[in-house]
Amino acid sequence: MFKYVLTFSKTGIICYTSHLDIMRMFNRVIKRAGIRLSYSQGFNPHPKMGFAQPLSLGYSGLNELMELETEEEYEPEDIKDKLTELMPKGIDILKCEKKNGASKKTLAAQTVAAAYKIYIPISDTIGISGEEIKNSYMNQNHITALKRQKKKKEPVEIDIKPMIRELEIINQDHELIVEAVLDSGSISNLSPELLIKTLQKHLSLDIDRGEIEITREKIYFQ
Amino acid sequence: MIALWQIVRKNKRGRNNYMNIDKELQKLLNRVEKPARYIGGEVNSVSKAPDSVSIRFGFAFPDTYEIGMSYMGMQILYNILNKNADIYCERIFAPAEDMENLMRKSGRKLFTLETFTPVKDLDMLGFTLQYELSYTNILNILELSGIPARRTERGEEYPIIIAGGPCAYNPEPLAYFIDAFLIGDGEELLEQVCIMKKDCSSKEEFLKKICKLDGVYVPAFYEPEYNEDGTIKRVSKLYDDAPDRVKRALIQDLDKAEFPVENIVPFIETVHDRSVVETFRGCTRGCRFCQAGMIYRPVRERKKDTIKNLAEKQLANTGHDELSLLSLSTSDYSRFEELAIELMEMCAGQNVSLSLPSLRLDSFSFKVLQEIQEYRKSGLTFAPEAGSQRLRDVINKNITEDNIFGAVEKAIELGWGHIKLYFMAGLPGETYEDLDGIREIAEKIMEINFRIKGKKGGRFRVTISVSNFVPKPHTPFQWAAQDTPDMFIDKHNFLTKRLRIKGVTFNYHETGTSNLEAVFARGDRRVGAVLEAAHRLGCKFDGWTEHFKPELWDKAFEETGIDPAFYSYRERNYDEILPWDIIDSFITKEFLIRENEKAKNAQVTPDCRLGCVGCGINRVAECFKDAEFKEVSDV
Repeated sequence: MFKYVLTFSKTGIICYTSHLDIMRMFNRVIKRAGIRLSYSQGFNPHPKMGFAQPLSLGYSGLNELMELETEEEYEPEDIKDKLTELMPKGIDILKCEKKNGASKKTLAAQTVAAAYKIYIPISDTIGISGEEIKNSYMNQNHITALKRQKKKKEPVEIDIKPMIRELEIINQDHELIVEAVLDSGSISNLSPELLIKTLQKHLSLDIDRGEIEITREKIYFQ
Repeated sequence: MIALWQIVRKNKRGRNNYMNIDKELQKLLNRVEKPARYIGGEVNSVSKAPDSVSIRFGFAFPDTYEIGMSYMGMQILYNILNKNADIYCERIFAPAEDMENLMRKSGRKLFTLETFTPVKDLDMLGFTLQYELSYTNILNILELSGIPARRTERGEEYPIIIAGGPCAYNPEPLAYFIDAFLIGDGEELLEQVCIMKKDCSSKEEFLKKICKLDGVYVPAFYEPEYNEDGTIKRVSKLYDDAPDRVKRALIQDLDKAEFPVENIVPFIETVHDRSVVETFRGCTRGCRFCQAGMIYRPVRERKKDTIKNLAEKQLANTGHDELSLLSLSTSDYSRFEELAIELMEMCAGQNVSLSLPSLRLDSFSFKVLQEIQEYRKSGLTFAPEAGSQRLRDVINKNITEDNIFGAVEKAIELGWGHIKLYFMAGLPGETYEDLDGIREIAEKIMEINFRIKGKKGGRFRVTISVSNFVPKPHTPFQWAAQDTPDMFIDKHNFLTKRLRIKGVTFNYHETGTSNLEAVFARGDRRVGAVLEAAHRLGCKFDGWTEHFKPELWDKAFEETGIDPAFYSYRERNYDEILPWDIIDSFITKEFLIRENEKAKNAQVTPDCRLGCVGCGINRVAECFKDAEFKEVSDV
């Protein structure tokens, strides 16, 4: 078995494809590139590949990560070139590295946080600086948001404040730029959607979600 | 901020990336379900500089992306047109309701997936006519594009609107809206028509030019007159050089016909998302209700090596994990056994599954099915179409109860747990005894299962699906009356009662859509007014149960004073001028009459591989081109 990690970006209109669409696309492109993936055992064998974190439909991603396991050994640079050749517009393979043999954990299991950049257009200017917005938002004792639970139908109230690791807000002409590092992964996970909702509520804004753009800048590991 | 969306940059292959969208479109895409339906950019979709070509063509499928992208004909023609450096073929689909509402609200006009160009700015727009119930979607697409529906209201500033596909064999219901219909095989004709557009300075000049090609019907050059009883009195020609009858376009050599190997691979899941190779066109069986069996004659095969070669390339270029074959009857390919074995070998090494639709269930098929483990996915399917041998003889469906029960027995022994059977209700000459035959077949299958599996029978299901017979043009039943809604409902109720058998599931098709389908299948020019009215009232996606609005259709018929019964429930006589007589399918009327008369006496006509049945096609084409028969006795 040979393991590789790809770094890629997803930008432009291809952001309107879902995580599952992209997974299926990667699988096919890898196949077309003649790279022989390893398959799991069992009744319905599936190829051994996986993303560090799913990227929500509509988000751009600048440093997304995917790992794959192959039957044969390839030069990482070859994998990068072959995939680059075949990828649809909007997916750029930035790097391919051999995965360090020490860790047996998947990338998904190692993910702990992610950095996002959120662009919120505002029609009226807000009279205070980004710094002040950030301070008043973060100075709340609790930042409560409604989160839909996986099994229960009723959404439950949670405090998202502890899941916000870093926050910067820039208030410029008709736009708020929010830079945030949020918990991400299986242990603790905060969707930027909840950050946006609570921030809007805090500022008494009512910007349509369709106007807001989100980019994932980076994924952090243990 | 950086406008990521508007960056035009060279992509990796050195071509310009023209796909930049504006903020307004972005806002729409942010709000709709499955926005990937509207963005194009899939693997193998074609990117050209629009100003580098002479003809910009829009291929419009009047249904959603998921359905349209599963249709092989679009991939075939997209490939052919885009191979021509002077043509750019782009795709258009009917937007789903949420997108349509947002587009109407924001004033955004319908656009192509490849370059987001407004449809109105194209040179030519071509609709594929796969089913009659998509006709309102055509009018809706035109409206969403800002193009008047009526051809007489479209000046030179609008694209030429053409249409093709099986339903174009009766073009009249759409004659008010379409400038030219392309009848028959499109592989050569469509490109030819596009090229001819280049040198024409007006629509009229263009239409006058192309109407001389085989396969082109220009409705503006013909004017029907009607008798007092509503039937057609005569059709006058308004342009002398237009043909008296339009011969269908026919590809003589299918083996040499273009077939795509770089299919577009959708991002989102579609109905069928797999590699597909057409093995042959045409059918020899001569089922009397089947339009495809008549209009695609004669049988023309692709050579086995060509098929394998195409399959191999398609798989390599798409990364698909499923391969399927396309034809009207998979096992009728002359060297099917060899082909199946060789394709199985090819697929086995590549983690590709082979899917073989509509297999005839003989011993070889079972061997193949076991090998490819198809049964894991779905049940075993039969289409006896009618419940009694007598009625099967009437429709010339050459399948016997022995065939069915023999195959069922074998299937149960091999471990199949689900048998699916397809029937039709309302066939000409049908009685309740024939319908009761459906119950008998279901019961006998259950008995076979008990006999093999013991008293409890294990987990075993039989599904009976009944569709409603719709008489189609260019078939021996083109003169037949369709059942009225009441008759269908009585029959469905009867079957519901009779099929209350443990382990048997009974489904039937909605009556309203079947009657509507019959009106537009055999309608004349006047029913176009009903389409307009229905569209104005809000009808669309009529083939989708959740969108079909019978009360609006009733209103549309009422408003226009058109009686649907005249088109659906009326039996025609042989002397009547039929709206589709203008189209020459090369199957003679004498043959169709002969077949219809034999049907009345429940007389069968054998498969034409056993001897020519005289349908007339061999006057213009070679039957069984490139087929290599070993024997024909096992038909």
